[in-house]
Amino acid sequence: MTSEAHLETLRGEVRGWLDVHAPKGWRNARQSHEQFAADQRAWFLKLVEGGYAIPHWPAEWPGGGRSLAEQKVIYEELTRADCPRLLLSFVSTYHAAATLLECGSEAQKARYLPAILKGETWCQGFSEPNAGSDLAALKARAVRKGDVYVVSGQKVWSTMAQYADKCLLLVRTGADGPKQAGITFLLMDMKAKGVTVRPIHQIQGDEEYCEVFLDDVEVPVADRVGEEGAGWAVAQATLSSERGLTLMELSYRMRGAMHYIASLIRKNGLENDAGVLRDFGQLVTRADAACAIADRFLANRIAGIERVGDASLVKNTYSRVLREYSALGLRLGRMDEQYLAPIVFGDLNTGNFMADFMNSYAWTIAGGSEEVQRNIISERMLGMQREPKGWAA
Amino acid sequence: MMIELSELQDAAQKAFPADGLVPDRDVSWKLIAEMGWLMIDLPEADGGLGLGRDALATILFEQGRVLSTAPLIPALLALQAIVASPDLAGREDWIGRICGGEYVPLNLLPGSASVQADGTLAGRITGVFEADMASHVLAGLPGRYVLIPNDAPGVTVTERPLWDRSRRLFDIALDGFRPDPALVLAEDEAAARVHDRISPAAMVALAADSLGGASAALDLTVEYLKTRRQFDRPLAMFQALKHRCADLKTHIASAEALLWSRCIDDAASNIDLGAMKAMATDTYFMVVEEMIQLHGGIGLTEEHQSHLFLKRALLNMQLCGSADNWREAAGRQALAKFAG
Ligand SMILES: Cc1cc2nc3c(=O)[nH]c(=O)nc-3n(C[C@H](O)[C@H](O)[C@H](O)COP(=O)(O)OP(=O)(O)OC[C@H]3O[C@@H](n4cnc5c(N)ncnc54)[C@H](O)[C@@H]3O)c2cc1C
Repeated sequence: MTSEAHLETLRGEVRGWLDVHAPKGWRNARQSHEQFAADQRAWFLKLVEGGYAIPHWPAEWPGGGRSLAEQKVIYEELTRADCPRLLLSFVSTYHAAATLLECGSEAQKARYLPAILKGETWCQGFSEPNAGSDLAALKARAVRKGDVYVVSGQKVWSTMAQYADKCLLLVRTGADGPKQAGITFLLMDMKAKGVTVRPIHQIQGDEEYCEVFLDDVEVPVADRVGEEGAGWAVAQATLSSERGLTLMELSYRMRGAMHYIASLIRKNGLENDAGVLRDFGQLVTRADAACAIADRFLANRIAGIERVGDASLVKNTYSRVLREYSALGLRLGRMDEQYLAPIVFGDLNTGNFMADFMNSYAWTIAGGSEEVQRNIISERMLGMQREPKGWAA
Repeated sequence: MMIELSELQDAAQKAFPADGLVPDRDVSWKLIAEMGWLMIDLPEADGGLGLGRDALATILFEQGRVLSTAPLIPALLALQAIVASPDLAGREDWIGRICGGEYVPLNLLPGSASVQADGTLAGRITGVFEADMASHVLAGLPGRYVLIPNDAPGVTVTERPLWDRSRRLFDIALDGFRPDPALVLAEDEAAARVHDRISPAAMVALAADSLGGASAALDLTVEYLKTRRQFDRPLAMFQALKHRCADLKTHIASAEALLWSRCIDDAASNIDLGAMKAMATDTYFMVVEEMIQLHGGIGLTEEHQSHLFLKRALLNMQLCGSADNWREAAGRQALAKFAG
């Protein structure tokens, strides 16, 4: 069978499965955080059952081992069927899985990976109040006492931590040498004694992330990933996991959401307004370019020819176009967008353009801000000289 | 195919090294004919290499990087028009002549001509590149494609001096010109078909030229910032400038990704390709605008290369349909696609 025919067969299979199983009317049902969490869990388990939850995992996992082209087909069909994006299990299936697969011990893999497919969810405890873009400045302290580390400190912006069972935690175990050197990577049980989670109210009315307070929390040494003091390198594996497919999925979803803008154009009778059509035409072209650069990035990654900075180009393209998309929606929605309207918890590109606009900042700030990506592109890709270090107040 | 493209790219870079901006036109043209680039996307059945539009784009991207003076784009488009005209007398002969280096350009700006009572043509064709070295012009006119010998009675070729130093542009005035029926490629519906055949290649070609130019302009700018020192440090160390360069790089990269994906996408419409070209020429403009600013005073001197990029970018924006029109068409197309 040609690969083309094979992909079309897969597409037919996925589509057929989604005809039966794709959730319907989930946006209207999502009026509370509880409903959001419940429908996310149910949908994730359903996808696991169907074999479409973890196409990016290795082949020994049921539903894993899909080629890039196959993954793309699956994401295209999920987007087409307007299925909810997996937010609750995002850190589990990407960050946690990548960390464990690349750096975890056999025992850790055996213990944690199968549990993810049964619905165990993870959060990422990296950022702190004084360690954002400068992540290596983190201060949460872990002191080893026999078989456990005793951890104290505060984490912030931890997405979905209020629902999480486990946490990918970065802590400081050493104070000597460069600040990256004293960092250690732990797998923490969110139910452990001394963990307090407080959701953060966001400007669009959602609560996607949390503060996490750690007060003498005991983490077994067996749950350390890599050596003590080698956590920075492990964290790179965690962070790079979200750079690949995520942006492809998001770009395709953004392109699919153009119908919201088209509806607004019709609703306002602007079908022949040249200015509006131009802005829309430019937006869809840029959205296509965002899809194209995400595709190209993934193809290069698979072929082993990814360059430093390539991921930054993809991210800054996507996040800017997303902002433009929601800003155009706000403009065309006019006064309608100013009246408070219900939001769909945990969703992106909802057609509530005020909420979507505010949400779009997640992509220019999280995962290395737009400015930090610019630093990477200019310094590491274009070779522009770094500023000298050593500024002291 | 990947390998072939990188081979083509290497060959193009060797033939036209990066330090030779605005190379001599006649030498370039000879070299281009020798390298076989005119045959790149010519079907194998017609004696060509039968490579895809991505091969064409690869060559033209590199030509754009060095501000090529040789009129490869108008020649390739004329050749495509001939290939798309099965009824043209001596079609094979024409293809052979053009591939061998006889220069016949297609006009890249509109022309108009009307048939007079005596059967002659009167009118004007604009946007003919390097007409001084052409034997014929392949005039794309409303409802008609016709080969016009440059030295025929009733044909006047006049140069229209340009700001762009890398190219020369001519108008062709027709007054009492009697077209040879054997040199008419297509009329009416057939002419529309020819147009649809060559338009995608025109968009890909201009986008590739523009993005090649944009990437060379950014490289030169970054290089300058890395070496120019002010305030006891290289200018490249200033974050305000770094971030501007990073944004330019991002714009080029996404426009390029669109070019490489759409140029081989059989499902891409003419409008998709036109909107892609608009994005590419806008990107070129954005980069050259910053190029001058980031060079400071030296960027305003004739001696410096920046203005060569600026002027070429601005001319590219005017060729083969305006960005405004393409964007509007893309908006209309998307609106229809997302029908209510
Ligand atoms: C939606 C969302 C989800 C998140 N989820 C998680 C999560 O699950 N787990 C987790 O650990 N963290 C998470 N984060 C945190 C995220 O990683 C940080 O917000 C991010 O790294 C920026 O840090 P900061 O917020 O402290 O901003 P700061 O670093 O204080 O930055 C403030 C401003 O200064 C700019 N800036 C900073 N440094 C530089 C520089 N060197 N050059 C130029 N400009 C600079 C920034 O770009 C920004 O504009 C999330 C954030 C968001 C928004």
